[in-house]
Amino acid sequence: MKQGSIYMDNCITSKPDPQVLAAMQEYFTEKYWYPGSFVSTGEEINTAINRFKEVVASSLNASPDEIHFSSGGTMANNIAIKGLAYAYGQPGGHIICSVVDYPDLLTNAAYLEKMGFDVTYLSADSEGFINLDELKAAIRPQTFLFMTTIVNHVIGTIQPLAEIRQILDDSGHKIYFHADAGQAYGKMHLDLDKLGIDTMAISAHKIHGPQGIGALYQRKGTKLGQLIHGVRRVDNLQTGGLNIALIAGFAKAVELSFADITATEAQLRELSNYLIDKMEATIPHVELNGPRGDRRAPHNVNISIDYIEGEAITMMLDMHGITVATGSACASQGLQANYVLMAIGKNHVQSHGSMKFTLSRYNTRAEIDTVVSKLAEITAELRKRSPLYNAIAEKEQ
Amino acid sequence: MQYSEKVLEHFMHPHNVGKMEAPDATATEGSPACGDQVTVYLKIDKDKLVIDDVTFLSYGCASNIATGSIITDLAKGKTLEEAKKITWRDAMEALDGLPPVKVHCSVLAADTLQSAISNYEIANGLKEIPNFSKDTILEEMKKIIYPKVGEDIVSLKMVKYIGFSDGEVLIDLNIPSFDQWRDNIAEEIREHLEKYPDVKNIQINM
Repeated sequence: MKQGSIYMDNCITSKPDPQVLAAMQEYFTEKYWYPGSFVSTGEEINTAINRFKEVVASSLNASPDEIHFSSGGTMANNIAIKGLAYAYGQPGGHIICSVVDYPDLLTNAAYLEKMGFDVTYLSADSEGFINLDELKAAIRPQTFLFMTTIVNHVIGTIQPLAEIRQILDDSGHKIYFHADAGQAYGKMHLDLDKLGIDTMAISAHKIHGPQGIGALYQRKGTKLGQLIHGVRRVDNLQTGGLNIALIAGFAKAVELSFADITATEAQLRELSNYLIDKMEATIPHVELNGPRGDRRAPHNVNISIDYIEGEAITMMLDMHGITVATGSACASQGLQANYVLMAIGKNHVQSHGSMKFTLSRYNTRAEIDTVVSKLAEITAELRKRSPLYNAIAEKEQ
Repeated sequence: MQYSEKVLEHFMHPHNVGKMEAPDATATEGSPACGDQVTVYLKIDKDKLVIDDVTFLSYGCASNIATGSIITDLAKGKTLEEAKKITWRDAMEALDGLPPVKVHCSVLAADTLQSAISNYEIANGLKEIPNFSKDTILEEMKKIIYPKVGEDIVSLKMVKYIGFSDGEVLIDLNIPSFDQWRDNIAEEIREHLEKYPDVKNIQINM
């Protein structure tokens, strides 16, 4: 079968929509200009960028001047987190995040710790929700920044944003709220006016836009210290060049994703529930990681297949043209079990045998049928070879 | 990172896989915590001391399965003396190489084969249970692969000091604080030494 012909790793990157490619075309060819004043070419790009900002802003119930384009989600996270620390972090300043956050947040937290800030890492419960009592207890007068990953990148847990904002407000002093929305944006409603988030990072290529472009939301009145110094071409925070065609593609992807976000969310949820039900019914000794129902992102399914190892499963699925991800240590950079699964109390076997399916609007029920039937065959084959499963099978007999 | 054709072939269609009924010797090495575990079963001709049959089970990744397959191929039909000379380097060579981060799989496969042979020899009075000493620790350290380059930590001169007294193992390692493999190596060292009843405590200084 063709490589990647069934693609269920959409949390890493997703297939660009053909309309996105079409929208970018003219900015690669005839309108290859940069923004500028008093010349028609530059003015045209100014107008276009403002229009693109409006598209992104309206998807978040924000205003266009609160949107900054950046070269991706990681860049947006860096500009915001370090920018908040530069603007509001006093010596002895305190930051709160959690042990299950996305690496963008954790690596920035570790860096800021090195720079002299104090960081509290909240624990998470067995479904990946951060501990709100710990949050209340951790807040001190020096706390200036709280950050979270709205949808957990491994197990799809949606953090309770409104409750978090309430706790931050109850502290009696301003605590800035930064969120990574890499996995949330385009999958659900995010009304930034209501949520009280101060800065938030989003990415285009996770919602069928082009790779290499993202955006940062910066609430009006929120200051950010300058992270990237240089000539101002497109944006005052990410100075230097930014690819206008990618911005055009991003805006088109946003338009398409938010044309009917309620329907998209429902479609994704229906597909992922079908996948969960089907795997639980077909394959013995499996367990869903993360919450069920509407407290879970609609596109994320993470399941542990006991007694076998994820890299082997992933490779066998790949040979059938199916692309998915695993939390196995064997497939990781440092040969370590997945930190999110370990933090929510899973054991090594559950982590090594964890499989992550992240769906998109392009996936179908028929694809899910194929994936589950192949997965069942592969599981049976690998379990035949597994000393752990042989031991269990003997006991069960 | 890519596997050789040979590895993929042995992963998809492993030889000698499965549990053996009434084996003459068996050994299990590795642990689920480290993500890989191998069991080797031996059927041995008692007069000629030849490995008549050998099978394996593997909990682990593609290279774990492939190295189990190749090590049993290499051992089948060999005398015990011949089989005792089979090393992880032989397994790796027979598979046309392994990515550096996967070399430890060939070590585990070879190690499990050697443990099964040793268990047979001890059970049949062919050798004594070896005493645990600093040499045992050194031999175990030679089985720990630095995943960045795929060589063992003794050859790489990363082991600065080994101490052992009253069940206390002390190991000094030469490894930088920013090295992404630090935790992995510490875990591997513990896994290799904790199986010895003589070891009560392990202290690793980096």
